[in-house]
Amino acid sequence: MLKAWRWWWGIVLAFSLLLVARVFLPLPFINEVVIFSIYTMGCSFLLGRVGFISFGQPAYLAVGAYATAFYLFYYGTNPYIGILLGVAAGGIVAVIVGPLFVRLRSDYFALVNLALAVIVFYLMQKVLAGITHGDNGLWFLTNIASTPVLDLGKPGHFFIFAWLVTLAVWAFYKYLDDSVYGACCLATKINEDKLKFLGYDNFRIRLLAFVIANTTTALAGSMYAVYLGFVSPEITSPARAADPVVVTILGGVGTLYGPIVGAFAYTGMKDVVSKLIGNWELIIGFLLVFIMLAGEKGIWGTLQPLFEKLLFRKKASATDDGAEVHR
Amino acid sequence: MSMAPDNEPPQSGDILCVSGLNVAYGEARVLFDIDMRVGPRQIVACVGRNGAGKTTLLKSIAGFLKPLAGAVTSGTTNLVGQPSYDIARLGIKYVPQDKKVFSDLTVAENLELGSYATKDYNWDPVTTYFPKLKVLMHRKAGYLSGGERQMLMIGRALLGSPQVLLIDEPTEGLAPSIVTHLRNVFSELSKNTALVIVEQNLPLVCAISSKVYAIKEGRVVAELADPESIKPEICERFL
Amino acid sequence: MDAQLLISGVIFGLSIGGIFFLMAIGLSLCFGLMRIISLDQLLYYSVGGYITYSVSLAAGSVWLGVLAGCAVAGIVAFAVERLIFRRIYERELTYSMITSFGILIGGIGVIKSIWGVVPRPVPVPTMIQWNVIGTEVPVYRLIVFALAIVVYAGIWLFLNRTIIGKAIRAGIEDVEHVEGLGINVSRLFTLTFIIAGALSGLAGGLHAPLIMVDPQMGLEVLAFVFMVVIIGGLGSIKGTLISAFLVGQVVSLGSLIYAPLAQMAPFAIMLVILLIKPTGLYGSALLKR
Repeated sequence: MLKAWRWWWGIVLAFSLLLVARVFLPLPFINEVVIFSIYTMGCSFLLGRVGFISFGQPAYLAVGAYATAFYLFYYGTNPYIGILLGVAAGGIVAVIVGPLFVRLRSDYFALVNLALAVIVFYLMQKVLAGITHGDNGLWFLTNIASTPVLDLGKPGHFFIFAWLVTLAVWAFYKYLDDSVYGACCLATKINEDKLKFLGYDNFRIRLLAFVIANTTTALAGSMYAVYLGFVSPEITSPARAADPVVVTILGGVGTLYGPIVGAFAYTGMKDVVSKLIGNWELIIGFLLVFIMLAGEKGIWGTLQPLFEKLLFRKKASATDDGAEVHR
Repeated sequence: MSMAPDNEPPQSGDILCVSGLNVAYGEARVLFDIDMRVGPRQIVACVGRNGAGKTTLLKSIAGFLKPLAGAVTSGTTNLVGQPSYDIARLGIKYVPQDKKVFSDLTVAENLELGSYATKDYNWDPVTTYFPKLKVLMHRKAGYLSGGERQMLMIGRALLGSPQVLLIDEPTEGLAPSIVTHLRNVFSELSKNTALVIVEQNLPLVCAISSKVYAIKEGRVVAELADPESIKPEICERFL
Repeated sequence: MDAQLLISGVIFGLSIGGIFFLMAIGLSLCFGLMRIISLDQLLYYSVGGYITYSVSLAAGSVWLGVLAGCAVAGIVAFAVERLIFRRIYERELTYSMITSFGILIGGIGVIKSIWGVVPRPVPVPTMIQWNVIGTEVPVYRLIVFALAIVVYAGIWLFLNRTIIGKAIRAGIEDVEHVEGLGINVSRLFTLTFIIAGALSGLAGGLHAPLIMVDPQMGLEVLAFVFMVVIIGGLGSIKGTLISAFLVGQVVSLGSLIYAPLAQMAPFAIMLVILLIKPTGLYGSALLKR
């Protein structure tokens, strides 16, 4: 019983906090934070645990979003099915491009993903404008049917749904982290030769991680689609390629709470800065550079060892969630 | 016959003095409290098995690695913390192993780089020691044989009249005739330059060195300064 | 497709290829010597464009603007190298990627605050048209192409006939070794970075009359420039030249056939090449992950 509690306490705390925040903060904000957390979790996993940076996450976001959008705009009205389709689409794309991308060196990988994001952008904006309506986007808010129990059309209900989904995704990643697979991912990041000698196939590990991370991103995309009731190519414009990277760094690479903390901080900052200054690229750019120069741990990464010290009265060491390992 | 590491204080006559050197790669400690003294125009050998830390030692002296603790001095100048190019300018040159030269540049261009760095454009000493290089001047260094590369590397390091040459495994993989040639070159060189040679070839170093340090698992386990004791069998015993 | 259209397309492709080359060279050199991915080169491109705009507006001469753009870009690059990059040279590639991306984004913010978000037009310095095999082609585009070739020749001479250039080539092979000779590689890095920045600025200045300068212009060419670099292989000058003009022609001639697809064609080419040779046409397999 205690062991289960130990495993779950962090999750429970974090998500209770989110619920509490719901009461105090405006609904649009908190909804965006939650969806954005899902987006970031995928990216964080990719960078922190597998060691890959991708500047092309918006591509998978768009794949998920547009798949859902197509369904809801042209075929049906059930948002759940829409989301499922979006996730499936994301998974399929990841499986198709994965084998080629994952083989590449880290720099080529990042850039190739970026190129993919640009291609998807052009596809949605120009090539398939017939079905995507180009820059005007697809509007389907009215198409979303009311579903029993949780009406996803209503923001309040949507939050509960999103909250549950985020919880599930988070638990999934925590499970991954603690499993042998998670250890393999870390190992592959640190010393792939050793892992090869132990008999593991680096490529497969990386490929699986790639698919998982990007399917998660597609899920976030689908949720965006349902929540906003609208999708446009802007979601995958090259300018947005920075978003997940920044947030991951902000929140702390590779930690499990990092994405949520980062999502909060990022969305909050964007809101505030946009209202006050309107030129938030300036802020975000310099913030990113500053953080990179100061250290890779991010907000949570630096605070976490302190928290652990306080709460568990043990020496802060590089264990489970906090293992920020880099050479 | 002294077997244990020397505990005498450094003499100001030393061209190179290492004391209490501790080096680590990240978390892994590689060198423990290394003491070493090299006099001017002395040939000192470092012997040890693979992985004992000999290359790490040379690299630390040359400024490529930052030690955790310890001092490296040349005369009165402190070397620790200085960038490697400044240390090279001081006259302490590192000749790495693996016979790596700049393969895309010709032999002449390789030497040009050395001259540019030291402002010494007199290549006569180089071609005197290694006449073969004269013939190879316009060949791309990537097409040289192992022995020719080694000659190029040492020749290039001679520019600027260095005070100390740190040479890492020069005879590895070379034919006996070239090894003999190198041996003679080393003996000649030491008339003007101190040499610290890391080698696995015990007969070679025992023949020309006046001091041998035996390194095992990151520590100096023996310092042989007596000509009588510098013999391959005795070195073997410590490794 | 008639001949006139074809020739126009080829010339267009040559000019755009020239622009790509100027930018990709900087990226390739920076990677080859310093082992960093310098996404901020896109910023110096934008700076070049904007300075060209402002100076040409103020002084009435676009060529003066281009010169100024090139110079200012070089200065900004120098400042960035001294302040930021020299602290991160030893770190992994990912580090420089993220940091340079931050600089790029932050720089876009600075541009926005100085010039605003509205795209600005820059006049073409010369509207002369020449008759090439029966087609009227804009001389300006030919000039851009010619300049790119001149730059290539200049870089070749620099790398092969000057001692500093040879030191850079040696550094691309093995930096530590160059250090061990007694050469101050820190200065070499700075010089290379400035050259890269100035060339990117030149690209921006030359490109400005052909497009409108806007804060996002760096991001718009980002993907193409990187596709050029990847196809050619990071660290190879010759590869960059070939792939720059290859991509230029594909984009140009491709758009005559079917416009939107032409933008994606380089991507497809890149994927094919990476399948066969994961380090690009002339790229080296020097680096591990």
